[in-house]
Amino acid sequence: MDTLTPLQWASLALFGPLVVALVLGVVWPLRKAGGPAAGLSLLGATVNLAAASVLFVGWLGGADTVRATLPWLIHGGPEGASMIELGLHLDGISVSMLWVVAIVAFCVQVFSLGYLSDEPKAGFGRYFTWQSLFLFSMNSLVLAPNLLQLFMGWELVGLCSYLLIGFWFKKPSAARAALKAFWVTKFADMGLLLGLIVLFVHTGGFEWTATTAAAGTVTLLFFLAVMGKSAQFPLHIWLPDAMEGPTPVSALLHAATMVAAGVFLVVRAQPLFAQAPLTGEVMTWVGAFTALFAASVAVVQTDIKKVLAYSTCSQLGYMIAALGSGAVLGGYFHLTTHAFFKALLFLAAGGLIHAVHSNELSHMGGLLKRLPVTGWTFIIGALALAGFPGFSGFFSKDLILEGLFDAGAYGPLAMLLIGAFLTAFYMGRVVFMALLGPPSEHAEHAHEAGGAMTLPLVLLATLALGLGFFAGPMARLYGLTYHFHLGAVGITATALGLAGIGTAWIMFGPKQGLQGLAAAFAPLGRVARSGAVDKGFALAYRQALLGLGAGVAWVDRYIVDGLINVMGYASLAFGDRLRAVQTGNVRDYVYAVVAGLLLLGAFGAIVQG
Amino acid sequence: MFWHAHLLSLTVAAPFVAALVLLAAPDLKGAAAKTVALVGAAASFAGAIAVWASYDLSQGGLQLVEQYALVPAYGISLHLAVDGWGVALLLLTGVIITTGVLATWTLEVREREFLVLLLVLVSGVYGVFVSQDLFVFFLFYEIAVLPMYLLIGIWGSEGEVEAKGPFAFVWRRFKVGGREYAAMKLTLMLLAGSAAILVAIVAMFFAAGGTSFGFDTLQGAAYPRSMQLWAFVLLWFGFGSLGGVFPFHTWSPDGHAAAPTAVSMLHAGVLMKLGAFGVIRVGMMMLPDGAAYWVPYVGAVAVLNIVWGAMSALAQKDLKYIIAYSSVSHMGVVMLGAATLTQDGWNGAIYQMVAHGMMTGLFFALVGLVYHRAHSRWVPGMGGFAKRMPGVATFFVLAGLSSLGLPGLAGFVAEFLVFLGAWQSDHAWWAVPGIIGAFVTAVYVLRVGRDVFFGEGPAEGFEELSDAKGTEWAAIVALAACLVLLGVYPNLVLEFIHQATTEYLPLVLGSGATGVAVLP
Repeated sequence: MDTLTPLQWASLALFGPLVVALVLGVVWPLRKAGGPAAGLSLLGATVNLAAASVLFVGWLGGADTVRATLPWLIHGGPEGASMIELGLHLDGISVSMLWVVAIVAFCVQVFSLGYLSDEPKAGFGRYFTWQSLFLFSMNSLVLAPNLLQLFMGWELVGLCSYLLIGFWFKKPSAARAALKAFWVTKFADMGLLLGLIVLFVHTGGFEWTATTAAAGTVTLLFFLAVMGKSAQFPLHIWLPDAMEGPTPVSALLHAATMVAAGVFLVVRAQPLFAQAPLTGEVMTWVGAFTALFAASVAVVQTDIKKVLAYSTCSQLGYMIAALGSGAVLGGYFHLTTHAFFKALLFLAAGGLIHAVHSNELSHMGGLLKRLPVTGWTFIIGALALAGFPGFSGFFSKDLILEGLFDAGAYGPLAMLLIGAFLTAFYMGRVVFMALLGPPSEHAEHAHEAGGAMTLPLVLLATLALGLGFFAGPMARLYGLTYHFHLGAVGITATALGLAGIGTAWIMFGPKQGLQGLAAAFAPLGRVARSGAVDKGFALAYRQALLGLGAGVAWVDRYIVDGLINVMGYASLAFGDRLRAVQTGNVRDYVYAVVAGLLLLGAFGAIVQG
Repeated sequence: MFWHAHLLSLTVAAPFVAALVLLAAPDLKGAAAKTVALVGAAASFAGAIAVWASYDLSQGGLQLVEQYALVPAYGISLHLAVDGWGVALLLLTGVIITTGVLATWTLEVREREFLVLLLVLVSGVYGVFVSQDLFVFFLFYEIAVLPMYLLIGIWGSEGEVEAKGPFAFVWRRFKVGGREYAAMKLTLMLLAGSAAILVAIVAMFFAAGGTSFGFDTLQGAAYPRSMQLWAFVLLWFGFGSLGGVFPFHTWSPDGHAAAPTAVSMLHAGVLMKLGAFGVIRVGMMMLPDGAAYWVPYVGAVAVLNIVWGAMSALAQKDLKYIIAYSSVSHMGVVMLGAATLTQDGWNGAIYQMVAHGMMTGLFFALVGLVYHRAHSRWVPGMGGFAKRMPGVATFFVLAGLSSLGLPGLAGFVAEFLVFLGAWQSDHAWWAVPGIIGAFVTAVYVLRVGRDVFFGEGPAEGFEELSDAKGTEWAAIVALAACLVLLGVYPNLVLEFIHQATTEYLPLVLGSGATGVAVLP
């Protein structure tokens, strides 16, 4: 902080990755060299992490809000011209998010060095170009001084998501998943765009601090976009498919940072959301339902990444429900802890996948012995997610549940409590199936990967383990206070979590007991695998949208254009008929002239007379 | 000071002079002929940049005025001057013609004649944007439109449309989708529009006293309201036909699909803008009462254009048709902006002309390049092209992203301003289908990107494809750079557009039009 001002540090964090992305984008020999591109990208991520850490430490010490903007776009309203601005906004909320993104991004990039080392050089370079572009986009969202810039960053991270999910674009399923993710989020983003326009017309700006009578409309429109980006039911359908991307991408974009942008928007625009109680109500119910629904579906997944993907939907549901019922600290703190432990879980899962060359849980088993570091860090992440006492997720989840209890949202609270049981259960299931038990034949030759892949895990595990004890300082960053207190709700949730782990142990531990319960879950499995929501959307796309398109195109071609063609046809046909008059016979022409003269004469007589 | 005093006439004349050189030297063939054309195009582009650099924003108004009497008896004069809109549109024209010549470097059939027509056409386009005399304006307009008949009829490519529907019998007379059909339809439909324009112009001339065709005279004239009402419709139909206004847009898909690369680039990139420009500059500004009355309908049709074009594009299987229908949809955004009668809406409309021009220019350059190599436009037969042409795939996605309004690219700025303007107008709901149209664009544009370039491949029969090279790269990279530049730093041209809008919009609003709803 001594040498550079906070704004300079922030500019470094923002533009460092942008410069890297531009250089790699333009200088293609460098990009195609692979290794050097990765090095440059990692340099950008390191600079970003350093700058973010300096700022984070500064704001932990209680710095004031810093803001700088530049004019970007002329707007001319009835009251004259003004400038729409872009810039930087540094406060506890943006700086803490910046730091979270920086850490996860750094870990993911380091991890990717090992994970993607078998990629062709050109692909390797392309991957790191997109990574740098993502870091810039996410930072421009986080540091946005107004909601317009937030929207711009929002769209750009959506683009990066599209590019990174489709990283293996030669694989049709990946190309398809990339499109699906982009379409679903783009569909939802219409709400954000329209909401911004309404906000601007009513308040003359894009400020989240604005007070307006239109707050209800605006926030409901915003929430549509939040549902898309943060994968809330029923717009969650893109997230499980997004697992087609490389696993580190899933960790960074589709678990820790980009999908949390929706939650971040709600936190950022809290002054607006606070003016809209109805939106809060909707958010609480949608979030709670998503939390329960996605947790149930996660229980029956056989693909380790799919379990984690549904788990992400579920956890985002917790955050949304919390923010809807006014538990801002719980929602935002859970975003932070979740970012670390879910990124950890994804990266560790990537390590496991890398070792056995399969995503299937049944192809794993007994991996803890063969990959001790990956295995144990995965267990730490799982315990944090399950809300095991002392781990970071325990504290943040407790805040959420207490918040709902205080707000009197008992229905959603019950859903979240059942969700807490299921969360512990499905994570226990994954741990017992993948890490313990007898090794499958795929796992015979599995071994621990190099330092590039284990060190990030250790760093993230430390945060997943310890961050809970820093709830106080984090709360002060958001301008709130935190007191630890374990009430009846917290105790219930913890007991449910332990029960979930225990049940998983009975069913998937060495005893393989309670198979009757497993049979009871079977119908749920069938429902989950049938993908009813997905099918609904597919139907809407194929039948409604494409069907309507085909209809419109047919009308355009055969009716609208058809009528034009008929005009052409008619004039030609008329000409054909008229041609008969041109007989070439002089006598006929003389008759015509005489008839014409007579007609003219008669006409003249009538007019004169 | 000669250069400065005649900057506009030199800019307009540069391509025409190059065309004359080509006409006078029949021996010029191949690269030599193309170089002459490139010099002419680049000179005009340099002129446009010089205009941009010398336009004094603090003064505003008409600048670089040149006036030479042509037919004094009817008050017709070659009156050239540039306003803020003109600055932006000259730049657009310069970029498109220069990159168009570059992209057409691979042409090998009668290239001299092709270039002559192309250059004459573009002189007409420049002329329209700087004319301050309605007669000359119309003259330039026709010069820009007519060469298209030959350009498509001779150098076009063939398509086929199945005979179906209630009017299937017309297939007995002409081959729908063929290049001669396309050329003929385009010309006839646009000429029908011209006829309507001509009637309105003559009526305006006499109603304004019959002394002058100058914009300044016609603009301030006190036309009877009844005359404004019908004359505006004629102008909207006439200019709107070229602007792709529904239901007079059907020349565009066939025409753009059949046209060779540079012609599609120029036609969709610049010519369609002449239509929308005419509606605003002549229709709305000279007939404000007519505009005030008809604007709700103009806006509603524009909204229909956006959705209709996008939905039609969704169902197309021919690569060029997809892009052509997307132009119909995006031109709807221009007309929507115009119909809002708000500062933001008009700024956005002109900005969309520039943004869409660059974007569609890039699209047609890329599609032409793919067609040149693959000899096919049939999307279902394609796939996995990215393996052989990674550069083309990248830039195709970039153009697509601009067309669906991704922030950071030119399209976003334009659409955002137009939607902002729509919400401020009396018809806030216009913004909603507009935004839905942008979503449908995301569906069809990225889907065609996937179908052509991604997945396993390349598809059977396309093993020999290769990436862009040489001059093709120059064209693609230049257009892409413009899209990014205009997306990141919009004020570069928006300040000029804004200047003109602040001067022009009150002319329309002043006479009773209630465009702006003042909100709390």
